[in-house]
Formats: sequence, structure tokens, C-alpha cells
Amino acid sequence: MSCSNVLRPSNLALCCALACAPATAQDALDNLDGLSFDNIGFDDAFFETEQDSTPAWLEPFSFRLSQQVFAQVNSHGTELADGSIYNKPAKTENSRFSLLTRYQNPFAAGWLLQASAQAKVYWPGDYEYRANDRNIDTEFRLNEFFVQRSSDDNSLKLGAQTVVWGENIGNSVLDVINTSEFRDLTIIDIEDARLNQWLMVWDHFDDNRQISSFVNLYPGFNPAPVRGSPFFFEPAFNLTDYRRDKALFEIGSQVRWSITGSDISIMAAYLYENQLHYSAPSSGVGDAESEASDYLLLGFSANRAIGKLLLNLDIAYSHDILVDALWSPILSASDPEVVTVPMKKLGATAGLEYAIDNDQNIILGVNAESLLNKNDRLGKDQTLLADVTTGNVLLRYSNSMRNGDAQLAVTIQSALDAASLLASVSLNYTLTDNLAVMSQIIATRADNDSALAVLDEDLRMGMTLTWSF
Amino acid sequence: MRVLPQLFNSPKRVLGLSALLALALLHSSTALAQASAREILEKVEDAQRSTTDSAFNRIQLSSCQFGVRDNQITCTERARVKALESVGVNFGPENKDTRSVTVVLEPPAEKGIGMLSVTYDDSDLDNETWLYLSALGTVKRIASGNSDDDTEPASIFGSEFTTEDQDTGKLDEYALTLLEDGVEAGRDVWIIESIPNEERARKTRYARTVQYIDKERFVALRADLYDQHGREIKRLLASRVELINDVWVARSLTMMNLVSNRLSNMAILEINTGIDVPEDFLSQRTLTDVAFRETELQKLREQIN
Repeated sequence: MSCSNVLRPSNLALCCALACAPATAQDALDNLDGLSFDNIGFDDAFFETEQDSTPAWLEPFSFRLSQQVFAQVNSHGTELADGSIYNKPAKTENSRFSLLTRYQNPFAAGWLLQASAQAKVYWPGDYEYRANDRNIDTEFRLNEFFVQRSSDDNSLKLGAQTVVWGENIGNSVLDVINTSEFRDLTIIDIEDARLNQWLMVWDHFDDNRQISSFVNLYPGFNPAPVRGSPFFFEPAFNLTDYRRDKALFEIGSQVRWSITGSDISIMAAYLYENQLHYSAPSSGVGDAESEASDYLLLGFSANRAIGKLLLNLDIAYSHDILVDALWSPILSASDPEVVTVPMKKLGATAGLEYAIDNDQNIILGVNAESLLNKNDRLGKDQTLLADVTTGNVLLRYSNSMRNGDAQLAVTIQSALDAASLLASVSLNYTLTDNLAVMSQIIATRADNDSALAVLDEDLRMGMTLTWSF
Repeated sequence: MRVLPQLFNSPKRVLGLSALLALALLHSSTALAQASAREILEKVEDAQRSTTDSAFNRIQLSSCQFGVRDNQITCTERARVKALESVGVNFGPENKDTRSVTVVLEPPAEKGIGMLSVTYDDSDLDNETWLYLSALGTVKRIASGNSDDDTEPASIFGSEFTTEDQDTGKLDEYALTLLEDGVEAGRDVWIIESIPNEERARKTRYARTVQYIDKERFVALRADLYDQHGREIKRLLASRVELINDVWVARSLTMMNLVSNRLSNMAILEINTGIDVPEDFLSQRTLTDVAFRETELQKLREQIN
């Protein structure tokens, strides 16, 4: 085989076996003039015109195979708010194999077909295996599937896709168009946490301005926690999918433009809250009743680059979101019950990113949301079940080492009131163009009256091996 | 949690990729019979501006550890390969600012990641960089600082080429000496020594550079790069010198790091200059709208053919 096919990873291996046969690395290459330089075969390999043997239909595909093993390694007991002890033995939580495939095909001028999908196998040891009566379980998910038509100033995308609003990526009060699913503290692919929506998206480009609008005729909601996952709690009633007894839709628009040193966006949308509100079934048994809450969102986002510093700001005003309150009528013999009350909410995410040097940077983000009209909306004998103001702080340090082969990341995320905290250290090492390994340690703590109390004093360690081709 | 891809922690790795090509691009010219070092390198600088403007290129960066076997330098491991496609234009006062789009074609794990860069010659203006996050389908501005002068040299896409290796045109900051005539790779060359002045020395990793310039084709066939202790730390070798659009181009450049015993080869698979790049192509839309990008790239390819 000629090395002209060296661009294909599989061929690269064989080429190297021929051209890069075992060589004795010398500590001192002091006198290069005495050596001949054979160009390592690069010249011939890259400039010959021999055709790649990969079939044309396979060209638009890329694949990523991953095997992840993760365990909670600290055996301990956690005292919950009701005084009970929640015992946590050390055990494997994740032992799973994942195939992620992407397809991107600009099949004609101005047209694009794009899709991505995941298939997973849950091995013995994985909580999904245990939840499946100790049988190997499988899962398939279509993430993206859309067709796009672009012309001079316009673009139309139809299908399952991602829409991200806000400048603080991954931690923005405006990033609410897609739903999400946090089954695990560690994720293999970003698609594990972000669920796409079936949308029609229209983009109009005008000089330095982009107007992006979407319509969603089948809004989705965050799925309930998966049994056995770190975030799972035993609900009083079955949490089922939303029963659609009426037509739902979402619509929104964003205008974005850039000036020197800044990008600015304003947006407005009619949406449904991604998280359903559950209440006890009227019969007292069976499935919980779920309620979808529609609301209006007005938003503003901007960034400002100042040398090595980047400032990000996202602001969201939500009108008529539903908030759970406890109604305890004093003059009635009836039991207290949970009711939902429409309220206004103002949220903001402020972030900064600082490039210490070419390889190191720091990200700090503060996310806070507050209810505006609590006193006006709460009725007599009603009290909020949650805090008026909630939020979190994210601090992340990353360092790119060995010419980018090793990526170190240290992350600390805490609730604003420090009721819960997550600290993570990860090292992603790229072994070859195709093979990478990531090891990660995650420690969590939480107050016993926190929603994350079951994660208190947990220590997780694990590794993910990824093969891309 | 892995939220952001780590590939582009260092945005400067892709800044001025088209300018990097300037290493390989020199005007075809008759040899200067009595040329001074300054005249030769000034000619190089003029050539660079004309050859990196309105450019559409495909580049492959390959890196590996190297060793010696049978008196030959050769890879001791499988080479790491990155394939990039880049379109850029110069603009602004004296055409010294650059706007470019670079998209990663290989390796598969990084395929589709794109970068829009605007670099300003004016040191009072911050360079601007936007990164396309393919998993999220969104564009993010990156803090990249201002001119290259203010930051330390950075690896370009993880290769042994650094931003400093592309940083030419600061001849006033160097003492230039034409050492002698010589022969390199069978070609007659001028051997020119460059030593940075005190101010420049604080910003550079190279205390001394010796370049071997092809007398007939004005191509740097070799450069030896020394640290402040007089030790040769890197060597650049050029090959496959071809005349493309009346410009002599070294289409294969190999940078050997003699400290880490690692080398990188930059193969210029496709180089096209002087093409008509639509103004709206070098925008954030090109990063996010693949249908638009591929359509416009096809138009650029048709100009070439």
C-alpha cells in the first residue's frame, strides 16, 4: 500500500509500521548535518493524488465509541432532614459503552442534511443494569435530525436541533430553549445532558445583524430522574410523561449583532417551563398529575472583550412562571396542600473568562434568579416551598499541556447559599488522533435539608476511553 | 463536567494561519547580485503581503516524536494529523489587518470546529476571535488579547510551529548579517543571521536565527533557531518548492524541536491566492451555516478551476 492513503486513520497505522519502523531515539541530536532527513514520508504521502478508498456514502459520517467506568468510592451514611440515615456503600455506578455517530451532508448547493444519534449498552455494575433487573440494558436516542436550506440572506432549518441563547455557555439563565437531562455527575458526550427539540428555525442575515426565529409545535420537558441514578429520589407517586390534552407550541426570536469588542443580543419568546410541575393524583393513588406552565421570556445578553478578559452578561425576565407554594388554611380542617402560583422572575448570569496565558484560563460565572412579586401573588396562608432567590457559582480552571495533548480542568460549582457544592478534577489525554482517555474525580457535599442531600460526602472516580473515527 | 471542548483553549493557535503560510511564500525574482541581508528580507516581507491576501488554503499539520535510525531522522511513533481549511483576506489601513475563517477537517474528534479571527495591525485594537462549538451549534467569542507582541509564543494547533514562527516583518528589531554564500539541498543560498535587539529579545524564544535563502527562488530552504545559550533548539526545513501563480512556494515545511525530539510537518495541500472572497463569507454565519459555507466554498473552488 502506498502512503498516499495516509489520511485515513486505519491506513495511517500501516504506513507508520512501514515508514516509521522502530527507531532508536537519541538523547543528543547535536550534529544533524551528519544525518539524512527523509521527510518522514510526509511529502509523498500527502501530495500524491491516489484516491481514498473510503466509500462516498461513508464520508459524511463520523463515529465516537466510548467506554466509561465510574464508581462512588466513599462508603458512608448521610443524615437527611427527617433524621433518617441514608447509607451509601462504595459501588460502581456507571459501566457503559456508547456509540455516537454524526452525519453531515451538504448534498446540494444550499442544502444540508445533518443528524446525530447515540446508542448505549449498560453493562453489569451500571445502575441502569440494576434497574433493569440485573439484565444488560440498551438505549438508543436520536439527537439531531434536520434539513437546512440556505440562500443569500436567509436560512431555514427544519427538524430536531439545538438552539442556545446566552453568552455564558452551560450556565446561562437564557439557555432554556432545549430541555436537559442530568442523570449523572459525569457525562460522556454533551448530548447526554442536552435534549434537542423539534423546531423550525429561520435565520435572516443582514450586514452585521442576525435575526433568528423559531417555532416549536411539540415542546418537550425534562425527563424524570432515572431510577438508580445519583439524582434519583423515590417519589411518592409515579412521575410519568406529560399527557398532552391540548396543543402546545413555543415561539421565539433573537436579534444579534456585533460591534468591535462585543456581541449583543435581545430576545423574546413564548415558552413552556422545561420542568413539569407534579402534584398528587386526585384519587390519592397512581400516577402524579403533571402541569405544563407557559410563560413569556424577555432577554438580553452581551459580552465585552478587554484584552485577555472576556465579560459575559445574560439577563432574563420571565412572566407568569409557576411556583410551588404550600397552602395551610388555618381556619379549615383540611390538610395542607401544594398549589402553584404564577409569578414574575428576574434572572441574571454574570461571567468572566480570563486567559492567563496561551494555555491556561479561568472562568467564573454567577447565576442568580429571584421572584419579583411574591407578596402580591401569594394568597393568605400560602408559603413558598423554595427560596425567593436561588442560584449558583461556577469556577473553572483549565490548562492545556504537552501541545494540547493533556487537558487539565478543575471545576467548583456551588449553590449561592453554599448548601451544596461539587468539585471536580479531570484530565483528558489524547493518545492518538483517534484515541483519548479521560480520568475524573468528583467530590460533592450538601446540607441535609438541601435537594442534593443524598450526594453529601460522595466521592466518585472514573475513567472514559474514547475512540473516534 | 465537560461542557466546553478543550481544543481551542488557546485561540492564538489559529490566529494568522494564513500568515503562517508566509513562511513558505516568497516572490520569484532575479537574484540580487549584491543584496544585503536587509534587502533580501524586506523583499520577503513585501512578498508575504501579496501572497496571503484573498487566500484559500488546505493545510495538513502532522506531528510525531522523532529519532535516528540508519543515519536517518524518522518518526518513532504514529504521526498525529490535523487537516485545516482556511480562507482569509487582508483589509484596513495599508491592508495590514486580516480576517480569516479556519475549519478543522481532521481528526474526526475535532471535525467541524471552526474559528473566525480578525487580527489588527494596530496594537491599540484587540484581535477578535469567535469559536464555533459544533456540539451546541453556537458561536462563542474568545478572549484573545491584542497583538502577538504582548503574549508569549503559542503552539499552532498543537504543532511545533508557534505564533512566533509566523511573526515576520519586524526587521527593525533585529541585527541582520549576511554571513556567507553556501549550498543547501543542492541550491545556492545566502546564509543570513538575525539577532534580536534588547526589546525584541524579551519577547522571543530565539536568541539567534540563521536562514538559508535560495538565491534564485527566494525561498527559505532552512532555518536554524538558537536559544540564549547558543544551543540550536529548532530547525526548519523546506521542500517541494513549486512555482504557483508566479510565486515560489515551499509546500512542505518541517519544524524539528531538538529539545523535545518532536517534529511537525506542514503540508500545503492546496494554496490559492488572489481569489475573490465575498465579504459576507468571512462572518459568524460561515461558522454556523454549513449549507451556506459549503456553497460559498464551492464558488471559491470554481474560481480556482
